[in-house]
Amino acid sequence: MSESLLRVARLDAGYGEMPVLRGVNVDIRAAEIVALVGGNGAGKTTLLRAISRLIPSQGELRFDGRSLGGTTADQVFEMGLVQVPEGRQLFDHMSVEENLQMGAYARRDKTAIEADLDRVYGIFPALAGRRRQLAGSMSGGEQQMCAMARALMARPRLLMVDEMSLGLAPVIVDSLLDTMARIRSEGVTVLLVEQDVHAALSVADRGYVMQIGEIVREGTAKELESDPDVRRAYLGEIATASSPGRAARSRATGRRMED
Amino acid sequence: MVLLLQVLVSGVLLGGLYALMALGLALVWGVLNIVNLSHGALIMLGAYATWFLYTGAHIDPFAALPIAAASLFALGYIIQRGILNLVIRGPMFNTLLITFGIEVILTYLAQLWFSADFRTINPSYAGSNHALGGLTVPYVQALAFAIDSVLTTAMWMFLLRTRTGRGIRAASQNLVAARLYGVDPKRIYALTFGLGAALAGVAGGLYGTVSQINPYIGGPLTAKSFVIAIIGGLDNPLGVIAGGLFLGVVESLTALYVGPTYRDVASFGMLVLILIARPGGLLGRTA
Repeated sequence: MSESLLRVARLDAGYGEMPVLRGVNVDIRAAEIVALVGGNGAGKTTLLRAISRLIPSQGELRFDGRSLGGTTADQVFEMGLVQVPEGRQLFDHMSVEENLQMGAYARRDKTAIEADLDRVYGIFPALAGRRRQLAGSMSGGEQQMCAMARALMARPRLLMVDEMSLGLAPVIVDSLLDTMARIRSEGVTVLLVEQDVHAALSVADRGYVMQIGEIVREGTAKELESDPDVRRAYLGEIATASSPGRAARSRATGRRMED
Repeated sequence: MVLLLQVLVSGVLLGGLYALMALGLALVWGVLNIVNLSHGALIMLGAYATWFLYTGAHIDPFAALPIAAASLFALGYIIQRGILNLVIRGPMFNTLLITFGIEVILTYLAQLWFSADFRTINPSYAGSNHALGGLTVPYVQALAFAIDSVLTTAMWMFLLRTRTGRGIRAASQNLVAARLYGVDPKRIYALTFGLGAALAGVAGGLYGTVSQINPYIGGPLTAKSFVIAIIGGLDNPLGVIAGGLFLGVVESLTALYVGPTYRDVASFGMLVLILIARPGGLLGRTA
C-alpha cells in the first residue's frame, strides 16, 4: 500500500468551546477519489475546515508527509490542498474569468495560468461563453462549474469538494461527477464530501461514513453501497427528508432531488 | 455668467481634492468595513509632512508628495497590523471607538510637536493663475486636480487589473473564499489600510498647498470624506469622484449665492437628501 497523500489521525476540532469532531481518522492516497458521506450536521464540513486550517484542531494532519501543524490557510492552499466550499462561495461581484484568476492567486507563472484558463474552459465549455459575466448572476449549475473551475486553476493536488450536488438538478450532478472522474484521470486526488451518498459512491474508489463527529464506517465504495447499515441509514434519511413517493422516485433514479 | 462659470470651475477643482480625500476612507470602509474616524488626522499628518519637507528641506511640495505618501503608508500599515487587525471581525462600534482614539492621539501629538500655529505651504508659484477667456484657473489647484484624477484612476486600475487588487476585492466580497484561495487577510487588510493612509497623505499635501493647516483640521475633513463616500457609494472609485465633484460644486455655489457660512449646511443637507433618494449612492447599486 502506498504512502497516504493526506493523513488525518485522532483529529479533534470544533468551534470555540463546542467540540464537533472526535478522534477522526482518514487516509487518502494519491489519485484516489474518496467519498466522505453522512447526514446533515455529521461534521463533514468541519473536517474540511480543519484540513484547510480555517479552524484550529488537535491531532495529526499530514499532507504528503509534511505536518500541517502551525500552518495557515494560505500556506496549505499553496501546498495544493484546494477546497470547493459548500454553497460555492464565488466572488459574486467579479466576472467568471476573475474568479478563475483568483483560483490562481498563489501562482506567479503568467503564461502557465493563461494556458490553464484555456484548459479549464475546455473542461467547462459553458463557462467559456460567460467569461465577462458576473459570477453571482449565473444559474446554480453554472456557479458550481465556476467554483470547480476556480479550484482547478490552483493546480490542486488534493481537491476537496463540499456538497457539490446541493440544489442542483440530477442531470447536472451527473455531468459534474463525470468531470470529477476526468480530473482524477489527470492525476488529481479528490475528496468528495456529500449528503447524496449514492451519487458520491458512484464515482468514488473508497468511502468514509461520518456520524455525529466520528467515522463510523470505512471501506471500498462497493462495500459501503452493499453495507446494510449504510443502506438503512441512507434510505432512512430519505424517508424523513421527503415524502415516501418522492423517496421511491429518488431511489429509482439513484439521486435525491433538491430543487 | 462668467461669475457662475468661475464658481463652477472652482467647485470642480475643489471637488477633485475632496474626491481624493474621500477615496482612502471609502477604500478602507468598503474593504475592511471600518469607518476610519482617524482618516482626517492622517490627512493632517500628510499636510504637515509636506510642510516640513518644504520649509525644512526645501523640497517642492509636489515633489514631496511621494515621500508623504510613503510615510503615511507605513504608518497606516502599522496601525492596521498592530491595532485594528485585533478587532477587525468585532462589532463596528469597537473599530469606531479605536479609530476615534487614534484621531485624538494623533491630533494632540501634532499640537504638542508642531504647535497649534497655522501653517501654509507657499511655493513661489502659489499665486500664479492661468487666464482662460475671462476665467482664472490657479496653477496650484489645477495641478492638484490633475494629481487627484491620475491617482484616482490609478487606484481604480490597481483594484481592477492587478493580482493584489483582485485579492483586496476578493477579501471584501467573500472572506472565507478568499482565505481558502490563498489570500492572507491580515496582510491584505494592512495593505489596504496603508493605501488608504497613503491617499490621505497625498490629499493632505495638496490640501496644504491650497489651504491653511493646523492640528485640528482632521475632524471636519473626516466628516467631509464621510459625506462624499456616502454620496458616491462604496462600490467603485468613480462614485467617489462623482461625489467629490458634486460636493465641491454644491459648496461653491452655496458659498456664492447663499453665503460661505452655509457651506456645511449644504453638504450635510445633500447627505440627507441622497440617503433618502438614493441610499446606494449616486452611482451605487440601488438597493
